[in-house]
Amino acid sequence: MTPDKQPSLRSRSRRKIPVAPLHDFPPGTRMEVKVGSVQIAVFNVGGDFYALYGRCPHQSAPLSRGRLQGTVICNAETCWKTEWAHDGEVLVCPGHGMEYHIRSGKAFGYNLRLRTYEVVVEDGQVKLVM
Amino acid sequence: MAADGQLVTVQKVEPASNPVQDEDLEQYGEDLSGLTIVDVDVHVDDTLMYMLDYMEGHFRKRMETVLQADFKGEPGNSLRNMIAHIAWLGSSYDKPPRAKLATKEDLLARMEKGIIDYSILFPSELLPVGYLPEPEWAAALATAYNQYMVDAYNNLAGVKIAIVVAPQHPDRAAEEIDLHAAHPDVVSVCIPDVGVNPPIGDEKYRPIFEAAARHDLPISFHGIEALIHDNYPLRVAHFHTLMQVNSMGFPFTSMLQIMSVVCAGIPVRFPNLKFAILEAGLTWMPFIMYRLDAAYLRYRTELPALEKKPSDYIRDWYIGTHELEALPRRGDLVKLIELYQGHETTMWASDWPHLERDLIAGFMRYEMDDELRRKILGENALRFFGLTPRK
Repeated sequence: MTPDKQPSLRSRSRRKIPVAPLHDFPPGTRMEVKVGSVQIAVFNVGGDFYALYGRCPHQSAPLSRGRLQGTVICNAETCWKTEWAHDGEVLVCPGHGMEYHIRSGKAFGYNLRLRTYEVVVEDGQVKLVM
Repeated sequence: MAADGQLVTVQKVEPASNPVQDEDLEQYGEDLSGLTIVDVDVHVDDTLMYMLDYMEGHFRKRMETVLQADFKGEPGNSLRNMIAHIAWLGSSYDKPPRAKLATKEDLLARMEKGIIDYSILFPSELLPVGYLPEPEWAAALATAYNQYMVDAYNNLAGVKIAIVVAPQHPDRAAEEIDLHAAHPDVVSVCIPDVGVNPPIGDEKYRPIFEAAARHDLPISFHGIEALIHDNYPLRVAHFHTLMQVNSMGFPFTSMLQIMSVVCAGIPVRFPNLKFAILEAGLTWMPFIMYRLDAAYLRYRTELPALEKKPSDYIRDWYIGTHELEALPRRGDLVKLIELYQGHETTMWASDWPHLERDLIAGFMRYEMDDELRRKILGENALRFFGLTPRK
């Protein structure tokens, strides 16, 4: 194979996987996607799509079944006062309650970030970019 | 099908209204098939309303009063919440969702998956019985619980029962053991160990050990959060959060009770009596074994009944894996078990369906050889509870 016919690493890593037609994936719903052995949780939150690695690193519970709620934060920005924050954006593991920010995959209170995936809408189709 | 030939599936799902239970049993079904699996710590709905029909006289009247009390949100009222969780109610913002109590049908559905061979039922509601200041009331509750469980859960394939005793009434506890020991589905005596004061090695509890030894019925200590202790084993008033109380309550109580039993020479007086500790995790086991050994060098004369050093007795205690600590490396669990020499005594426990239950994935993530995995998942428990393999 000549070098120009070799698929670039970038093109190999930018597969688009159809998840659902847009009209079947309205705000407030979620899909559990399995690509080979990898499980991914895809959410429509108020019209914005988010996709995260779908297994909790703690004990592998399926994050696609987690509730979305808020959580309490306490940091320098809150002047070390406890505040309710991120309402509707905190994915709570249905296993034991680890919390992840759905936008970033960052776990609250842990030095841990779930892998996130880009989601695009093309031709009325929601697609996962991997 | 993705472009690279990987199978892709998409499923619309809903947020779980209850904590995810053991769906992962199916995930590991292939690895587990053919193995004997004993879940040594299982709980069913045993709220107080089920006890009413098993109480007589003024205690029945008292239970009717209890059941009318309005502790909102708890089915049939909850002894646990009355004396315990109320102090911290709502502190976890319902995160994760509250554990649903498991009905008999839930239990049977779990067993019908054919993966778990035995479930050993332990009390939920009566775990705090050691707190109750009135020995007669505590004993009446234990009596009602035991008869209810034996009536409701007997003769179910793979389902076995640990009867509970109220340690503050040792004579009534011994009577309970005498009454139920011969039942084919009763496999252990559960001593709820939190709140028991003085500690369980005290001479006053000797009738309990005598009765268990008489019937060759193993004793299981099962903790609960050390919720309202103001003295022994922890002054929980020092802690402002339930997390601190929960984290320290189980292992501290377990260490204290093991120390108390061993230092009282009970394993010497009852050499065939088997003991287990449940729901306290594992990591503290090496600490208490070898800490006591170090002190034993100096203070052996305080414990003249002992014929060998403390760790030589504690090594024989069985221990349930729940609440399994998340050790950082996959090889760490084997290293820990080697430290407390628990190859023959460690037993897999889920605490299903309670909030903090362990999914089997939490255990399977650790690397170990097949023989040790087989022992922990079932063989050690078969020996402890005197069960015969079902497959």
